[in-house]
Amino acid sequence: MPEPLPSAAQDLAGDEEYEGLPVDAGTQQIAAVVSVPAATAAARRKKPFGIGAWLSLGWLVFVIAIALLAPILPLKDPITWSDPALKLQGPQWGHILGLDQGGHDMLSLLVWGARPSLLIGFGSIAIGFVVGGTLGLIAGYFKGVIGEFLGGLFDIMLAIPAVILALAIVAASSASVTTNTGSHIGNVTIALAIVSVPILGRITRASALSWSEREFVLAARAQGASHFRIMLRELLPNVLPAMFSIAVLGIAVAIVAEGALAILGAGVNAASTPSWGNIIVGGQGSLSQAAHIVIEASIAIFLTVLSLNHLGDAIRARFDVQEARI
Amino acid sequence: MRTFATKLLRLVIVIVAVTFFSFALIKLVPGDPVDYIINYDPSGQLKARLHQDLHLNDPFFVQYWHWLTNFFTGNFGRYYGLSPTAGQPVSQQLWKALPFSLVLILYAQILALAIAIPLGVVTAYRAGTKFDGATNAVAFGFLALPSYVLAFFLAIWVAVKWGLLPVSAGGNQISPITDWRYMILPVISLAAAQVAVYMRLLRSDVIATLREDFITTAQAKGITNRRILFRHALRPSSLTLLTVAGLNVGALIGGAVVVEVIFQLPGMGFRLFQAIGSKQYVAVQTYVAVIAIVYVLINFTVDILYSVLDPRIRHARAAA
Repeated sequence: MPEPLPSAAQDLAGDEEYEGLPVDAGTQQIAAVVSVPAATAAARRKKPFGIGAWLSLGWLVFVIAIALLAPILPLKDPITWSDPALKLQGPQWGHILGLDQGGHDMLSLLVWGARPSLLIGFGSIAIGFVVGGTLGLIAGYFKGVIGEFLGGLFDIMLAIPAVILALAIVAASSASVTTNTGSHIGNVTIALAIVSVPILGRITRASALSWSEREFVLAARAQGASHFRIMLRELLPNVLPAMFSIAVLGIAVAIVAEGALAILGAGVNAASTPSWGNIIVGGQGSLSQAAHIVIEASIAIFLTVLSLNHLGDAIRARFDVQEARI
Repeated sequence: MRTFATKLLRLVIVIVAVTFFSFALIKLVPGDPVDYIINYDPSGQLKARLHQDLHLNDPFFVQYWHWLTNFFTGNFGRYYGLSPTAGQPVSQQLWKALPFSLVLILYAQILALAIAIPLGVVTAYRAGTKFDGATNAVAFGFLALPSYVLAFFLAIWVAVKWGLLPVSAGGNQISPITDWRYMILPVISLAAAQVAVYMRLLRSDVIATLREDFITTAQAKGITNRRILFRHALRPSSLTLLTVAGLNVGALIGGAVVVEVIFQLPGMGFRLFQAIGSKQYVAVQTYVAVIAIVYVLINFTVDILYSVLDPRIRHARAAA
């Protein structure tokens, strides 16, 4: 288990509750995490994962499992099967979650809709994690010109509000492309990945900066270890907890953003690829007659985001991640 | 003073960089941007003229220079094509939309802080009680509730079913002050998640402050708890909150785009949405650039205010 980060915030407050200054508040969720209602350090170590964290993990495993198994589950096809006579009807025998505005089965829509939502959420953050993490590690280790340049680059990318940036990238990159759904998911994923790079890069840089001052890094250098080896073997293991806690929150933000992009007309194509976000958008027109469409898709997003937020907090508490100040 | 000059230099660099990005966006669009504006042009003359007007024949950086000088002299280009706004300068809509969005965000901030500050202070004072636990659980729930979900439900129940408030502004040019009835639901949708963010933040800072010696002194003097909490403890605990509230303007701008589209409010987000929908790339460039610059300027102001307000930061930076 890594030692607590040698953060200046500790000297500043000298208190367990003080989680440091939220310089990296790129998004509201990330700002929120800055202050976790925390137990004492001792209690954290004794109770690493509470029941809430296990429930969260359970829900996520469940959602990922049904998303992966969707093709072999005994479900009606979410696109080709429809019964217009039953459209907008609520839960009933044979359609336990009801039907949507086109007479499609809600259960299969939600199961299939998990695929693009999770793919975009996990995929975009995975790309952001690798790219942002690598750049952040380099920026934190090579402090001079390279570090300043990359830090400045992150600042510039963060200077454009995330939703606007993602919207602009999706809109520009899929303007005339024949609406082929594959590229659409790809566009949304890449746009959100680009947005997540500076957020993850900045937290990695901040964390790597403070760890690279430590004696063991100096010792490794004195033994003649290469820069690459120091970054990979000495810095990365210590920086990972901070990266993971932000990345988990980032997945939640990306899943919500998928829905936001759908509302803005830049989401995944609803006709061929149902996603939680575009199910909500499609159902909101009939919200007053058939609220179950929006409610069910909203619950799916809500529970997933809640689980990810909770897990992110748990990782922070477990590994005692603190925001470093830059 | 030196740090201020450095910050100012960084500000200029960031602003130039975001304008460059906003401009370069149009280069991501596949094909000729003029094709989106002019559909029918057998002779090719119209397209050729537009190419010239938009400097599209020039090298990339010359184009950028033209665009940048126009941008900073307030010439934002115009709407093209067949849209109802065709021919109008972008600036005409922009100067109406920008104040609208700023007022919307301001309202949301005020509402969020007005609810979060008392809640944060009281939950800190009652830390560990059932009230504290329940409030935190609800706040955690609101963090996971996307603003658009809340907006849809408010729209359908409060506006459609109960008929208490108008559903949408229909994109009409309403005033954020006199037409306040249109603003209530958007502001609530936007503020809800912020309440949770601010409350949790303030709570942990107030808990830290309440352990300080001067609080014990105040209690020993017999000052009432209410006065201690809101006079003595709140001020030293509010700096982090103020910073996050400032930085959060970015999240709010993003949230405002979605909420403006849902309620069809005539703000920057809705105008950007319309411009993207009707392929007005000249307008899209301008809106993205202006939103980014406003965001950068707000962050800059917060940063400066913060170091003025908190001597610890000022001195730490001076030492470093």
